[in-house]
Amino acid sequence: MLFRPKPDFPWLISGHVVMAFFLTFLCAKFVPAGGARTGALLGLLVALVYVGAHLITFAVQPITNKILWGWNVGALIQFAVAGAIIGTIYKSSSPATRPTPNA
Amino acid sequence: MKRFIIAFLAAFIFIVLWGWFFNGVLLKDVSAEVQSLFRSRQEIMNLFHWIIIGQAGLALAFVMIYASGFATGGIAAGVRLGIMLEILAVGARCAIYATQPFPAKLLVLISIGGFIEMIVTGVIVGAVYKSVAERTAQRRDRF
Repeated sequence: MLFRPKPDFPWLISGHVVMAFFLTFLCAKFVPAGGARTGALLGLLVALVYVGAHLITFAVQPITNKILWGWNVGALIQFAVAGAIIGTIYKSSSPATRPTPNA
Repeated sequence: MKRFIIAFLAAFIFIVLWGWFFNGVLLKDVSAEVQSLFRSRQEIMNLFHWIIIGQAGLALAFVMIYASGFATGGIAAGVRLGIMLEILAVGARCAIYATQPFPAKLLVLISIGGFIEMIVTGVIVGAVYKSVAERTAQRRDRF
């Protein structure tokens, strides 16, 4: 049996919380000025790390081609969109773009 | 570009060697306890090129992130990037634990190995970027 019959949700959620927190942390270090495009680019680069890990998983675990490429495409979309969201929020709250009180 | 290629090759060679030593030698017995979750040795050998391609992708992505946002920080920045990427991987491993019946011990050991791998990769990439930059500056001063 390769997968559990039912996912262990607390671990699933906490794993995603850790990923979201550290992707944000990485974005803050990588692109302090923010921006959806730069955030999405960083997201794509991080997804490439995961694609590499998925290919290794495919070689050592009996997963199908369909699962492998589903994971890869999913990671690229997931991290690019998450990076773009983080970049947009960082840009909109950066001092350079914040309106001055008397303007 | 020269720095990028040297850093990529150095990181890739280390990741391949560490992957073989850590997974193939140190974790061999622990992994054997859950053999049903893995392919047979023969099957893994037939798909070995995917391991190499995956490790090359990992090294390439690491150097690309370092080169485009951390290159001025030297070795310390490489280590910081390695730690951050590995914590992201630990998050993914929590999701794996939630969906696949891996023993927690194996995932903890894989994570410890992952930290060592990513920190050393950060040191290597940071050192390559630093040493090539220093050599270029020295050459510029000489002329």
